[in-house]
Amino acid sequence: MTAPAVVGRWVSAPGAAEIVTGDARYCPDIRLPGLLTGKLLYAPHPRARIARLDVGKARAIPGVHAVLTHADIPGENSYLYAEPDQPLLAEDEVRFQGDAVAAVAAEDERTAAAALAAIEVEYEPLPGVFDPLEAMREDAPRIVAGEDNVIMREVYRTGDVEAAFAAADVVVENTYRTRWAEHAFLETEGAVAQLDDEGVLTVYSSCQAPHRDRMQIARALGLPESRVRVVTPYIGGAFGGKDEAHVQMHAALLAHAARRPVRLIRDRRESILTHVKRHPITVECATAASRDGRILAVRARAIADAGPYTNATYEVVNKFGEFIGGPYRVENLEVEKIGVRTNNPISGAFRGFGAPQAAFVYESQMDDVARELGMDPLELRLLNGVETGTRMYTGVVVRAGDAMKASLRRAAELIGWQGRTAQERQPAPQLRRGWGMATILKGSGLGRGLGDHAGVVLEMHRDASVVLRSGAADMGQGIVTVMAQLAAERLGVEYDAVRVVRADTAQAPDAGASCASRQAMVSGNAVLAAADSIRATLLGLAARKLRRDQAELDLRAGEVWADGEPSGLTVRELAERASAWGYPLHAEHVSHFEYPPDVPEASYRFSQEVFQFCTQVAQVLVDCETGQVQVERLVAVHDAGRMINPGGVYGQIEGGLAQGIGYALTEELVVSEGRTLNPSLENYVIPMALDIPALEMDVLEFPEPVGGPLGAKGIAESPIIPTAPAIRNAILDAVGQPLYELPMTAERVLAALDRAAPGAEDG
Amino acid sequence: MAEGGIRCTVNGQEARFEAGPERTLLQALREELGLTGTKDGCSSGDCGACVVIMDGQPVNACMVLAPQAEGARIRTVEGLAAAGGLHPLQRAFGETWAFQCGFCTPGMLMSCVALLEANDRPSRDDILTAIAGNFCRCTGYQAVVKAVQQAAAEMRGGEGPA
Ligand code: FES
Ligand code: FES
Repeated sequence: MTAPAVVGRWVSAPGAAEIVTGDARYCPDIRLPGLLTGKLLYAPHPRARIARLDVGKARAIPGVHAVLTHADIPGENSYLYAEPDQPLLAEDEVRFQGDAVAAVAAEDERTAAAALAAIEVEYEPLPGVFDPLEAMREDAPRIVAGEDNVIMREVYRTGDVEAAFAAADVVVENTYRTRWAEHAFLETEGAVAQLDDEGVLTVYSSCQAPHRDRMQIARALGLPESRVRVVTPYIGGAFGGKDEAHVQMHAALLAHAARRPVRLIRDRRESILTHVKRHPITVECATAASRDGRILAVRARAIADAGPYTNATYEVVNKFGEFIGGPYRVENLEVEKIGVRTNNPISGAFRGFGAPQAAFVYESQMDDVARELGMDPLELRLLNGVETGTRMYTGVVVRAGDAMKASLRRAAELIGWQGRTAQERQPAPQLRRGWGMATILKGSGLGRGLGDHAGVVLEMHRDASVVLRSGAADMGQGIVTVMAQLAAERLGVEYDAVRVVRADTAQAPDAGASCASRQAMVSGNAVLAAADSIRATLLGLAARKLRRDQAELDLRAGEVWADGEPSGLTVRELAERASAWGYPLHAEHVSHFEYPPDVPEASYRFSQEVFQFCTQVAQVLVDCETGQVQVERLVAVHDAGRMINPGGVYGQIEGGLAQGIGYALTEELVVSEGRTLNPSLENYVIPMALDIPALEMDVLEFPEPVGGPLGAKGIAESPIIPTAPAIRNAILDAVGQPLYELPMTAERVLAALDRAAPGAEDG
Repeated sequence: MAEGGIRCTVNGQEARFEAGPERTLLQALREELGLTGTKDGCSSGDCGACVVIMDGQPVNACMVLAPQAEGARIRTVEGLAAAGGLHPLQRAFGETWAFQCGFCTPGMLMSCVALLEANDRPSRDDILTAIAGNFCRCTGYQAVVKAVQQAAAEMRGGEGPA
């Protein structure tokens, strides 16, 4: 006899009832007595000197409670994701359209808008630098005074690349381009700040990293962190775009100055113009192969446009390089990684962190190599794929690598990879159908050598109800559900008995940022360890009561089990006893991301070592007259290690696929001379319900041997990564023309077709 | 509360709000009536986060000027659950993971309720068409289809999921 496990079961998210009734409070929904509206004045130019800034008239408007410029910031005037080079409020120069110049707080929206309009600023526009190659020149103007325009330039090399290229039978070499992509989380960035009677500044923050926000807010205000509290209300999506703080410091500065609570929400246009985008990267890449299909070497040079400030450029471009060889046994690899400042939109974290751009390059190369060799792309991938025990070009040993080929085989089976008829391939004179695949690996965790830890506090009450306090922000990705399941599983209580407090720095220890697919692993392990300590107390009490050895006992579904049978003794009775006799059912634990000690000296810097494997296969129909690409089928096979929360796993996959289709075909922030031309949801084109085919998803479970809670691994990022190259390869299969630029809009598809048939007339 | 402002019913209750020239129904609901369940994702008619049912039809509340709501019957997400508990669609949304962050959910629910009231056996295409204007960045709409079909089956009476 067994009791149903909580882990692996479809459960609703802990906040589901609030969400479906409209009771869930997101930042814009917070109401406080005396609440003011905050607004920021943004730069109208991508690069300009501020000759004069006068806020006198704005301050004089009745109903305006605070107008702040950089001169009014008591602490440090900078963000601090990595380098403190981005001001909260510009001082003498604006460097992109997202730089804020002044902040206001007023009685209502209209008064705040009037205050912004009354601020007098004289700008002297300066010639901007919009081309990374230009920015790299010695004589280029410095984007940030005193700082090199080149944020990073690193080369990683392993093996003998020269010799491998010299010995190759086939070399494929091309230049790839990706563009800025927008997160478009449905809830724009926002924060609500309130100073209480005890001088504590509480900030409700739509964010991914509440404890880092607390540090940044304290730093900007010159307050000790003990006087700042960050609370996460419900958060309407993030995808990396709320990893760095946005308006939290501004809201806090305004509330502090006005002595009234302030709510500051970006509107959609401001949101698109200001927050970080997926890095546009231009990549020259060459792959060398032998006639029998072995990948011998890869050489790549990538130049990423960072926008004016450092933000996550080092980390993202470093990750790009880490994955440029794909999930393949590549012994010789050289990658040069360059990140450059410009006056374009700022780039930073976005789901996948450089890996989507890398996958577009290496998976395109794989299909181009397969064509050169006359080999089946599936065969080529199976031949070169990593396995358990493979030492990668990064020096990392793949631990649960059998998932790679398993995902390839399963995806091929689901789509029906072999044997297409001419009728299927060309259903009408102008239509061509094709199939393409992409397979990837992406690491979870921040990377070796980086502090990557998370704490939780867990408490069981006398009625066996449980409270779990964690600093991990849930932006919809589902970490609260995973934590509640793990706690319920180990404490032997029903899932509903666990209440997870939304991340609040006053109640929970730091769990780090919800990024890098890390929380399910690192916070998950912290929950297991904390729960095990309470479990040991409960089992000790049960052993005494039942006169059994503790090792024979288990806690399941609210009862103590002995020898596989329920004993009749409930967890609730144990909790009552513990409470009556003064045994603490309270535990705090900090978990650290685990790395095995078997990496050689020359390994890749900050390498990730737990891998998400997945394969996606797309079936597309291309209209050769219009260039329109329709994704007819999309198969996705993902390894989750072990599924804790199936609803969340499938949810992450389907959401990633939808985002991947957008990244592949339509999503492009159009930027001209530093100005974003389509800062709206109308003009930044994202696939909607009718544009997405029925998604065919399957999940594999190859348990992670080191550091995954019960074998689980993070899965949040991988779903978006292979979609674009799978679609690209399907278009190639359909029309015989390779594309090298994302997104693959109808115009770009037509241009590729025109290259194939110069001078050919339309229809 | 403005005298002689706009009068309408919201979730079965008499309601009144200001009739400022640029005031939208969305602002009136959220700011004057405190019904913050209905969300604002763009204020420009592009995302469907603000969908409410007005006289039986789903509309983007950010595109309805307050005066247009005069005399209308308006239903928002707050009115979905009855005394007996959650609407079957609300339950199905939670069970099938038809949302992640939940910010699109109020609008999505109202579009789907309007559909179910007109069609008790919606096909996949019917559902996708009904939510064609409801942007969701977290899901790929698959679970929404599943949720609506599960709720439809339940509402038809215990047939189990289609
Ligand atoms: S807020 Fe109304 S459609 Fe977006
Ligand atoms: S669940 Fe986040 S936008 Fe739909």
